[in-house]
Amino acid sequence: MASYIYRRLFSAIAVMAMVGIFIFLLVRLAPGDPAVVMAGRNATEQIVNGIREHLGLNQPLPVQFIHWLSAMLHGDFGTSIFSGRPVFELLAQRLAPTVSLSVLTLALSVSVGVFFGILAAWRDGGFVDRLLTVFSAFGYSVPVFVIGYFLVYVLAISVAWLPVQGYAPMDEGVGDWFAHLILPTVALSLPFIAFVARVTRASMLEVLSEDYMRTAAAKGASSCAMLFHHALRNAGVPILTVIGISFAYLIGGVVLTETVFNIPGVGRLVVDAINNRDYPIIQSVLILTSGLYVLINLAVDLTYTLIDPRIRY
Amino acid sequence: MTITRRTLMQSVLAAGAVLAAPSILRAQDKQAIRMIMGDIQIFDPVFTTSQNTFNHAMAVYDTLFALDADLVPQPQMVGNWSASDDKKAYTFELRDGLSWHDRTPVTAADCVASIRRWGQVEPSGQLLLKHAANIVATNDRTFVITLNEAVGSLTDILAKPLFMMREQDAKLPATEQVTTNIGSGPYKFNAELTRPGSRVVYDRNEQYVPRNEPSSGFAGAKIAKAEQVIWENISDPQTALAALQAGEVDFWAEPVADLFSVIESSDNLVLDTLGGNGSDWVVRMNFLQPPFNNVKMRQALLYLIDQKAFLSLMAPDEKFGRPVASTFGTGSPYSNDVNIEWFKEGGDLEKAKQLIAESGYAGEKVVILDPTDWRDGDVASQLFASVLQKAGINAELAPMTWSELAVRRGNKGPVEDGGWNFFITTFSDYEMRDPMATSLFVMNSEEAWYGWPQNDEFEVLRGKWPRTETKTERQALAREMQRIWWDYVPIVFLCQTKAPSARNKHLVDIISTPAPERAIWNMRKVEG
Repeated sequence: MASYIYRRLFSAIAVMAMVGIFIFLLVRLAPGDPAVVMAGRNATEQIVNGIREHLGLNQPLPVQFIHWLSAMLHGDFGTSIFSGRPVFELLAQRLAPTVSLSVLTLALSVSVGVFFGILAAWRDGGFVDRLLTVFSAFGYSVPVFVIGYFLVYVLAISVAWLPVQGYAPMDEGVGDWFAHLILPTVALSLPFIAFVARVTRASMLEVLSEDYMRTAAAKGASSCAMLFHHALRNAGVPILTVIGISFAYLIGGVVLTETVFNIPGVGRLVVDAINNRDYPIIQSVLILTSGLYVLINLAVDLTYTLIDPRIRY
Repeated sequence: MTITRRTLMQSVLAAGAVLAAPSILRAQDKQAIRMIMGDIQIFDPVFTTSQNTFNHAMAVYDTLFALDADLVPQPQMVGNWSASDDKKAYTFELRDGLSWHDRTPVTAADCVASIRRWGQVEPSGQLLLKHAANIVATNDRTFVITLNEAVGSLTDILAKPLFMMREQDAKLPATEQVTTNIGSGPYKFNAELTRPGSRVVYDRNEQYVPRNEPSSGFAGAKIAKAEQVIWENISDPQTALAALQAGEVDFWAEPVADLFSVIESSDNLVLDTLGGNGSDWVVRMNFLQPPFNNVKMRQALLYLIDQKAFLSLMAPDEKFGRPVASTFGTGSPYSNDVNIEWFKEGGDLEKAKQLIAESGYAGEKVVILDPTDWRDGDVASQLFASVLQKAGINAELAPMTWSELAVRRGNKGPVEDGGWNFFITTFSDYEMRDPMATSLFVMNSEEAWYGWPQNDEFEVLRGKWPRTETKTERQALAREMQRIWWDYVPIVFLCQTKAPSARNKHLVDIISTPAPERAIWNMRKVEG
């Protein structure tokens, strides 16, 4: 097991090195110029050139790459070209809303999605199954922003139960924090609930038809014990895989949800940075996100052994 | 305990009430005004020409002079001032009670350093520095500007958006950002609560001493009535509208045109035009490359453009747009009607075709740089392309982001080598009143703005502008300049638009400014 972890960590470092080079080239070779954006629409060439010179954007790409790599290896994410503030500080300010939204979304998606999937498998072919199939198709096909606007109209404008937009930090009150996150979490969770429910249903149906499930039923095991103790554990590996994969989709969904609900998170930070060509922010966020994705997949792989003792590395 | 349907419903309603409480409390908070404003990425008004940065600067910094609602410069930080008889030496004394947000007093040395930094980049500031023999502080509250030759109305120049900063900040080169945000204006920047790209917070500057005159435009008393002003950057228009409808914000600086009717039909919302004369839509052509290095082709454009057609797209409601034909815009003391009668109506396709034929145009490809990430700019470019095509010009749109456009417009080469023929932009109408400060007026090729026009006759007249002393003399000069301008055709106007703002009815006393920039002093919330 330990050697497997070492091998995976080593390959993760190699992957991150390649990702780093790719991100740097992608960002620098994309059309656009931060000096132009900074100077404003009607700035003169003289001003733009002065800013470009000051930012070191006239230097050859290899020189810029070495500067960036050297800083990254020293844990320095650089300074935002635009705001002039350390990228680390900007990320730290934006992390809490994004983590809050992501954690709540994952918790809601996994708990409800797995429950719906089990329910649909248990009532295979029945009314509940068909209802959940319709729900899954709906949740999976309706875009996040449509659900978002609908929820805002009904729950925030018509009955005014919840805030329309924004984020309240947890230290200003858990109630306010939670109230601001309900609508975005529900909007973002729907497609994930549908996805997890479909996979759980399929996986559970396969397990429920196994001989050992018939044996358990013959021995008088309750439905609850059969579903949650015997079946779910054996159906767990594909469900866990899907949750791991969902993380990548979640990142994309978070960006859109943060825009619709005006949540000042990392997603909006990176979208603004891309529009402005704020290279240090784009590079840092992409590197961190890629690293997190690699780590989550490693964690998912390791969790397999807990669910299924037959899996050994 | 048995959970009945009734207890479940009661619990859900109670939870809803608890969760709704914070937003209800927020709406009742009369001390803070929440505004949806554009994103501010750069906080230094000398470093960028961005309007959002200027909005920020007006809240935090103060100015020596300021334009009133009639575009007349009025003293702001300056108390007494005088000029020598030959108009070559000006003495300015700062008024009492001026202090920086760090509680140190504003000194004349701070102002001198601020003028010098601003003069590195701003055209009228460059003009001032070019003609200034000396700018020196004679004591803590007085400074003197001595000129080699008269530059006309110096107070006009100083009434530009020239924001005063502390000397230690103003000593930074203009290409390096000032990030301290310490000014002497009516509001203080709250760095702790500000989240760049998302929210900017200003607190009332309790030390600020307003002038005694009533507010007018950017001039007069600046009274910070709200304890705190919070600018939210809500990029999604639907979310912005919902936040305004729900009372979570009080003001929306630039609602999108699609939502005007929704706003106007709401009992609680108002659509205002606050920004003076608005923005002039300008087509700039490349004078170095064919076919628009030929004056007949440029004159043909003036016949071709029907501003009413552009207005129907850019400002369908006539309250928010109008045609513009004078070189000096619609609202300045120098606006006039010389040499505009022949193209004023526009839309004369036959006359345009005749001039195109006379120019010898042989169907060369014409490239319009189309900024697809700027919605209105994209729409205007598309209509402009179709107008050219209708006249038989082989026009082609080159879609790109504004950032890419701004790089490509620096290319002086032919279109085959990545060059260009046209791009569309906007200028504040009030900027058009000053031929020394607005880059569009420069026509000396190498030093001219993108497009690089050259017209020596116009440059001679422009050179006379700083030396004219009276308004009447300037008006006469402006008419002469406009005659040459429209014979030469350095730009083509598409129309003028005035982007309205939306607000809740309980937000009142908002300053109507002579420019699109917003002032946040004086506004307050009332019961209702």
